[in-house]
Amino acid sequence: MGCCYSSENETQEQRNERKPLIPHPDPVSKPPNGTDWITTVPSARTDEQALLTSILTKTAQNIIDVSAADSVMMEQHEYMDKARQYSTKLAVLSNSLPQRKALALPSLTSQPHQVLASDLVPYSDVQQISKIAAYAYSAISQIKVDAKEELVVQFAIP
Amino acid sequence: MESTLEQHLDDTMKNPAVVGVLCTDHQGHNLGCRGSLSDEHGGVVSVLAKQAAALSKDPTDSPTVCLESESGNILVRSHGTITIAVHKIAS
Repeated sequence: MGCCYSSENETQEQRNERKPLIPHPDPVSKPPNGTDWITTVPSARTDEQALLTSILTKTAQNIIDVSAADSVMMEQHEYMDKARQYSTKLAVLSNSLPQRKALALPSLTSQPHQVLASDLVPYSDVQQISKIAAYAYSAISQIKVDAKEELVVQFAIP
Repeated sequence: MESTLEQHLDDTMKNPAVVGVLCTDHQGHNLGCRGSLSDEHGGVVSVLAKQAAALSKDPTDSPTVCLESESGNILVRSHGTITIAVHKIAS
């Protein structure tokens, strides 16, 4: 069975890669600062309270509480190992990426002397581009939102 | 909405010497293009016009940049907030 983000086939190495640098403190036994009241929710919960609690728990899980992780320090060699592991992985991945296409205008000339010796740009061309630009500008200034229905709708409150 | 601009670009391409046309805003966002000029050229075109305008002390002076070659020219010109590039081949 496999689904999105399935971790079934992960190797030990892959799991190790995703291990957070700051281990997450247990949200129940050691809640982040200022959230002690999570555990004080009464046992007889309504559905709404249960929902709110689950939202709070999820939020607490997403918080990286640096102050709570003080005691769990990473060894220097462990840190160096991780840094080396990540840079090796990055180097491998960046090699396999396709080369980005250069954003070049259409190729112009391989014989510059010929171009430099040729006639000047015809003034008619310059006039033409001016005209095209002016017309395009006026065409763009005509663009406007064509509102077909009301954006704000009044609810009929009895 | 933008049909006037699209029509204008199509009309420009009807000129037999024109093989490409591009319209961008002042940030290089492509507003429309045809032929040899595509949306990836928007940034280069708008920056060329901007840099050329920076050469002039007169802020109302709008220069036309022309990239010349033996087979054709690319003319770049700003008007207000937009920049137009036209690729013309030698006729």
